[in-house]
Amino acid sequence: MILVIAEQQQGTLNRSSLETVAAAQQTGADVTVAVLGADVSMVTPALALAKVSEVIAVQAPALEAYTLDGFVAALVQVVQAEKPDHVFLPHTYQTRDFAPALAVALGMALVTDCVAARWQDGALVAVRPMFQGRLYADVAPTGAALVTFQIGAVRADSLVPGATPAPIRIATIAIDASAIRQQPEAPFREAKQAVDLTQAERIVSVGRGIKDQDKIELARQLASAMGAELGASRPICDAGWLPMDRQVGSSGQTVAPKLYLALGISGAIQHLVGMKGARTIVAINKDPEAPIFEVADYGIVGDLFEIVPALIKELQG
Amino acid sequence: MHPVEVWLFRIVVLAFAAAFAAQIATRLRLFLRASNNLRVPDGESGVRLWRVVREVVFQSRTIAERPLVGLAHLGVFWGFCAFALFTGVEFLRGLGGPDLTRTEWFGTYALVLVPFAFAVLVGISGLIVRRVFVRPPALGDHLSKESVLIGFFILTLMVTFLLDFVLAEGTGARINWWVHALVILSFMAVIPGSKHFHLLVSPLTVYLRSSTLGTVPNLDFEREQVGLETLKDVERKQVLDAFTCVECGRCQDNCPAHATGKRLNPKTLILQNEDALLAGNLDVKLAEVFDASVLWQCTTCGACENQCPVGVEHLPLVVGARRGLVSNGDAPDALGAVYNHLERRGNIWGLGADLRQKFVQSAGLEIFDATRHQYLMWLGCAGAFEADFQKSLRSLFEILRSRGVTFGVLARERCTGDVAKRTGNEYQFQELARANIDDFKAAGVTRILTSCPHCLRTIGVDYKEFGYAVEIVHSSALVAAITRDVSVPVAGTVTFHDPCYLGRYSGITEEPRALLQRFGASVAEPVRHGANPFCCGAGGGLLFEEHEDGRRISQERLEQLLSTGATTIVTACPFCSIMLKGAQASANSTAEFVDLMTFVEGRLKTVS
Repeated sequence: MILVIAEQQQGTLNRSSLETVAAAQQTGADVTVAVLGADVSMVTPALALAKVSEVIAVQAPALEAYTLDGFVAALVQVVQAEKPDHVFLPHTYQTRDFAPALAVALGMALVTDCVAARWQDGALVAVRPMFQGRLYADVAPTGAALVTFQIGAVRADSLVPGATPAPIRIATIAIDASAIRQQPEAPFREAKQAVDLTQAERIVSVGRGIKDQDKIELARQLASAMGAELGASRPICDAGWLPMDRQVGSSGQTVAPKLYLALGISGAIQHLVGMKGARTIVAINKDPEAPIFEVADYGIVGDLFEIVPALIKELQG
Repeated sequence: MHPVEVWLFRIVVLAFAAAFAAQIATRLRLFLRASNNLRVPDGESGVRLWRVVREVVFQSRTIAERPLVGLAHLGVFWGFCAFALFTGVEFLRGLGGPDLTRTEWFGTYALVLVPFAFAVLVGISGLIVRRVFVRPPALGDHLSKESVLIGFFILTLMVTFLLDFVLAEGTGARINWWVHALVILSFMAVIPGSKHFHLLVSPLTVYLRSSTLGTVPNLDFEREQVGLETLKDVERKQVLDAFTCVECGRCQDNCPAHATGKRLNPKTLILQNEDALLAGNLDVKLAEVFDASVLWQCTTCGACENQCPVGVEHLPLVVGARRGLVSNGDAPDALGAVYNHLERRGNIWGLGADLRQKFVQSAGLEIFDATRHQYLMWLGCAGAFEADFQKSLRSLFEILRSRGVTFGVLARERCTGDVAKRTGNEYQFQELARANIDDFKAAGVTRILTSCPHCLRTIGVDYKEFGYAVEIVHSSALVAAITRDVSVPVAGTVTFHDPCYLGRYSGITEEPRALLQRFGASVAEPVRHGANPFCCGAGGGLLFEEHEDGRRISQERLEQLLSTGATTIVTACPFCSIMLKGAQASANSTAEFVDLMTFVEGRLKTVS
């Protein structure tokens, strides 16, 4: 059995928890999910929808806010009671904080930042990238292990739903609050960008090739026809043609959409480092020598003022 | 003199001397308790003394930047020196010592002083008119009453001196004598607390100024140095700098951040340091003394320090305070990402080494072998990853090959640490520097060639502090040396943007121009060129800045370049090129950018 430790904060499930459940399902093993908190009834029903054998609500007043000591104390009890073959966790900041201590407390191995796991010859094999993603290593722990999964490595939509909701068991545990050395403060929230391009699935981005502030409208039309967000390179935002929060690049947002359409962007390095993570890059540029074509999957050498209207027409027609 | 008058004068002198000494003592205490960073490298004292003669005695810097004002100041300064003995003799008499004023030589001396008195009168009147009526922005918004007062002191001294020749002995002459003496004493008493303290401190600060622009000595981690966090950490030279500052505003006039409407003003920085030191609470954080955001507006272009007539060094203060912030985790977010990139991948953009490898292969570069290659070709981050700069490097390689120069590259490079050094991430800088030096030593490197002015400076100057000295040459200097035989007929006008780290820091201003002219371009000079260029805005880690207050420095510079009328802009630094090209859209310019090496190669092809 694989025990997945889901993560929730103030009644909201961390999306990566479902990715980790999916990763556990893909090994073919039985999956049990545990989630910790003072009261986790807000998130257990969502977890129970997945094809898992059981959802355990691990509750204690001391688990109200996250503390390393509280979580380790709780999880040691849970793991010792459930005796899973392995424990899977999402590789969140929280996990990064407590997993090493938990591994030591339990005497288990810790395999971090994995992208997949499979059952092979009756043993678990976890796959983790090495050398900055150039190679993948198969790691086969000899005993029970804690395995953490990179966020986004396993798709949450590959989660197999259960035929009927899984049973939810409330396990109230005792934690010695006085043994908790950390004193949590109010959670820190980063100021949210007005426009969050990092979550966009499709981005149409404009560069100097657009030439004229009035022509931005053309890009906007294409973006709306594609259901895409509008982005820009630094010169466009510097010139004030689009607000700064639309800037993609090393001094703007770093984006990784499924589709990135670069209009009249030469591909200065400052821009490339902010968008090279896009899955598919399409570039339209007059200059066949433009560096953007080095990273583009598809390139059109031509006048964007001819190509973009044609694209809009095609998409709307 | 009447004995009562002598006694009275003795008491007056004693009172003023006490006031003078008390003010000096406060400043001396601040100086003595600061950690000692005063060091003159072996064998440099001669060079530095000669500098004092040039810059203090002949006021070369004061005059160079503002000729008229500088000459007026020179008149006043020499007048002061000439009068020193006169005042001494008069005071000796006043205090009841031997009376030398009746001697023949003193009479001659007094006569010789007359033209000096007139020089001072003209000089000081000009300076008073400038300060009170012209009011140049460099002197600040508020009229310094103290400076006007001192101006009138000097005026009075000269007038009373000259009056003495016409007044017959008697009460009038005695009053005149007393006025003269009291003004001198008042002046003395005002000196330590005013900008006129530079009379005493500036010869010292000019002497102590590092001979290399922008020297910010390494931190010693063994001694747990982490940079300047509080006023306590401010070192002796910076204390002297605070007291020597004459508030002339030459630094302010030359600062690109100030020129584009940012809050950073190098002069204010020095004065804030002075005020804070005198306020006495040394536990105040420097981030509170200076607005921390102001510290991140400095491009480290060095224009301030390079102009200062009294030897103030701004960069150790700016970088020192940045170090204090960085070591407390208070670097701007954008730099946090750069530090991560440097740590994980050894380059400023966080790109993979395979991309560099691709370039090395496609450009047909060999791995450096000391037995076969004259030069180690250092690519730098931009050379490894930036497409435009790679284009210019390909041109350089063609030129070198056509001239039979042999060169190779290292199998792998790390960033020299320029950004880390200038932004105050000293630990990261030292790690990068040490690793690179080990690589150079292992590869048996003796001569390095680079096209990046920042790498040039960092390897050539900053690495010396690790005891590593290597010959390093910028591509423009080497190519200028190996193409002396070429002459291409003039075809077109270009303008050249001097990179700060090439022109100002490394003094390479002639070679790029020689190349441009030799290869058939007439050069239209923009304002601020040669050894005092206007920055592109990228230095000091600001290449990665997310938001720039005021106008963009890059845009200001681009407009300066465009107003030469040239349609081709030649650059010689990858970062200048990135910044200025980025400014193109908003300037609505269609000027063509060419790197110096690409320009030369293109023209070279036409003749060979």
